[in-house]
Amino acid sequence: MGQPVGAAEGDPMTAVVTTPTPHRVTGLVKSTPGRLSLIALLLVAVSLLTGALTGLSVQARSAALEELATRSEPLSFAAQEVYRSMADADATAAAAFLSGGAESPQLRTRYEADIAKAAAALSTATGESARSPEVSAALSTLSGQLPVYTGLVETARTHNRQGNPVGAAYLREASGLMRAQLLPAAQGLYRAETANVVRDQDSAGGGPWSELLFGLVALAALGLAQWYVTRRTNRVFNIGLVVATGLTLVSLLWVSIASVVVAGTVSDSRENGSSQVDVLARARIATLTARGDETLTLVARGSGAAYEKRYGEVVKELGDLIARGKTLATEPAVRDAVTSADTSFGAWQEAHRRIREADDSGDYTTALGLAIGNDQSGAAAAFDNLDRDLVTAITKARTAFTGSVATARGALTGTVAVVTLLALGAAVASVMGLWQRLKEYR
Amino acid sequence: MRRLAIGLLLLFAAACAPVPTSAPDITIGSAGAPKPADAAEVTAPPSSATAAPACDATASLRPDGPQPSPGAMPAGSTMDKIAARGRLIAGVDQNTYLMGFRNPSSGAIEGFDVDMAREVAKAIFGDPNRIQFKVLTSDERIPALEKGDVDIVVRTMTINCERAQKVGFSTVYYQAGQRVLASRGSGITGPDSLGGRKVCATKGSSSLTNVANIAAKPVVVSVANWTDCLVMLQQGQVDAVSTDDTILAGLAAQDPYAEMVGPQFTQEPYGMGIPKGNEDFIRFVNAVLERIRDDGTWTTIHQRWLGVLDRNATPPVAKYRD
Repeated sequence: MGQPVGAAEGDPMTAVVTTPTPHRVTGLVKSTPGRLSLIALLLVAVSLLTGALTGLSVQARSAALEELATRSEPLSFAAQEVYRSMADADATAAAAFLSGGAESPQLRTRYEADIAKAAAALSTATGESARSPEVSAALSTLSGQLPVYTGLVETARTHNRQGNPVGAAYLREASGLMRAQLLPAAQGLYRAETANVVRDQDSAGGGPWSELLFGLVALAALGLAQWYVTRRTNRVFNIGLVVATGLTLVSLLWVSIASVVVAGTVSDSRENGSSQVDVLARARIATLTARGDETLTLVARGSGAAYEKRYGEVVKELGDLIARGKTLATEPAVRDAVTSADTSFGAWQEAHRRIREADDSGDYTTALGLAIGNDQSGAAAAFDNLDRDLVTAITKARTAFTGSVATARGALTGTVAVVTLLALGAAVASVMGLWQRLKEYR
Repeated sequence: MRRLAIGLLLLFAAACAPVPTSAPDITIGSAGAPKPADAAEVTAPPSSATAAPACDATASLRPDGPQPSPGAMPAGSTMDKIAARGRLIAGVDQNTYLMGFRNPSSGAIEGFDVDMAREVAKAIFGDPNRIQFKVLTSDERIPALEKGDVDIVVRTMTINCERAQKVGFSTVYYQAGQRVLASRGSGITGPDSLGGRKVCATKGSSSLTNVANIAAKPVVVSVANWTDCLVMLQQGQVDAVSTDDTILAGLAAQDPYAEMVGPQFTQEPYGMGIPKGNEDFIRFVNAVLERIRDDGTWTTIHQRWLGVLDRNATPPVAKYRD
């Protein structure tokens, strides 16, 4: 500032600053102090970069856990609820039709509760943005066709009350819509959301490989710097570099241990939670499908062989799912609920056998009573018990899931801050260590 | 630093996300009522009744000797097997108001055809309630008889030569005729005004064949049950329903905005379908029909269900080929 140009030419230091040339830079690298400065710069860069990248990895893991806890698992549960309540509404509407006359208040209440629940679960599932095209398609089918379905059921109901047999045809149309469009869409939604749970578990519970890599690179860089400084200065240890190495090592260990804990609890969340929930949820869906088929066989009155055949297939699948649920169960509460579900399943099978026996031998009234009556040994009671047991088991398994995910999130608390501070510390320590040596060249 | 990390993360996310190029529009899936299950437009014309060689299908087998009294069926006869089983298995409809339908308030199956079937059960057992109903769609009637799933089909079944090759028929127990049902004010006045309009009939019914053969060339829509046709008419998915006046009367009774138009353009003699081999049973059923024609039972049942069509109807005269 204000200095004559001529004076600047006479001062070599100023010349370096104002007119740097490639020759000068190479000169800097060739001299020992130049190299030490460069090493200090590199170490600062490596430490900060390692810190940033490790922090980002931990952040990503933590984001996946948050996604798991607040989005993908609740959405998967909502999708399951959408399916369940719609299937139950359809089975209830069919049972109300079978019971004859104006439908019973219990069945009407149950149907209305199912529709309300389906709509609520649907709005939870719809309220989230950023979804895949298949989820969007399923959601648009569900929210578009559910009102059409309820409209048809109400028309059927009106005709039934007026004694018009056309009511049954409206109910068939509604049921056809449910089975052809709504339930497949709900199933697609459930599959997609369950796949998201698995995806988030994978990204949250993976090994800390990138963190290990970054940490090792930083340690290697510090090691090389130490080796160079030892060779040049005949001092075995450089305190600054040793401290930096120590801090980097602590950071690496911290991240590794936290990640291993997270991986373990995420694996727990899978084993004690989500994989059981998935099997149990599928069992619950199979229960409803089988119940629908059992009812429709009676509605068809003698020409329901196709429904009965499908009932047989679904029940076989249901038996397998319950058996798997029992094998997978890790907690006594879940195992007890599934065992009780298995007992109810057996009772239902027995009731169904008696229904078919009565219906096939022409005793329709007895068959009807067994299927929809309030008798404790009837199919309706066994079905309700089975469903209730499965709900208990699902709730318990979900609690285990939520607990594991919360533990995992706890294990990561503060990790980003610690990693960042340690990286800053390592950078400062490296610079200070090398500064000691640089001072010797002054 | 944590903020920086989050900032960097957001920056990455922003860089990866696609930038929308236009404001998204709101798209809808399908609007309007769904089609009933199994509803389809018929493109290939169904096999025509006229394809079978001409015959005198309405002539049935003459009753043979005195009618056995209830509970005393001749040993080894088809009726004896039914009696041993303890119930008559009858193929009926539960979707055709007045003819064979499920009463929504009681859940019981009722109607003209059902009462006719009960008369047969009464002749075998002395009890009209010793009967098991198997609900059949139009399409399922002949296979059910051929497989022996049912003893008898009493389900608005027109006797024709094509069917007579596969199953046996009783004498005519009702003479129906095909007409057209349309919404009031639709401008449809009969079969001639159906050109290009959508007309509903059940799959496997003779009505469907008749609709396909109408000279004005309507678009034929087939469904499983007659009430499905009424649903589609009410939802505007079809313009008209065409079948026997008996069935149409039942549909019109459920909808004040639907009316039968035009003349009867076909003759539909109803017979009870019986497996072809069971000639003894055909003769037995014909004797039952003879009795109810003569003792006024037919008229009582007709008045109960089909009085709306014709107050003074008389039972059709039986024709025999011996």
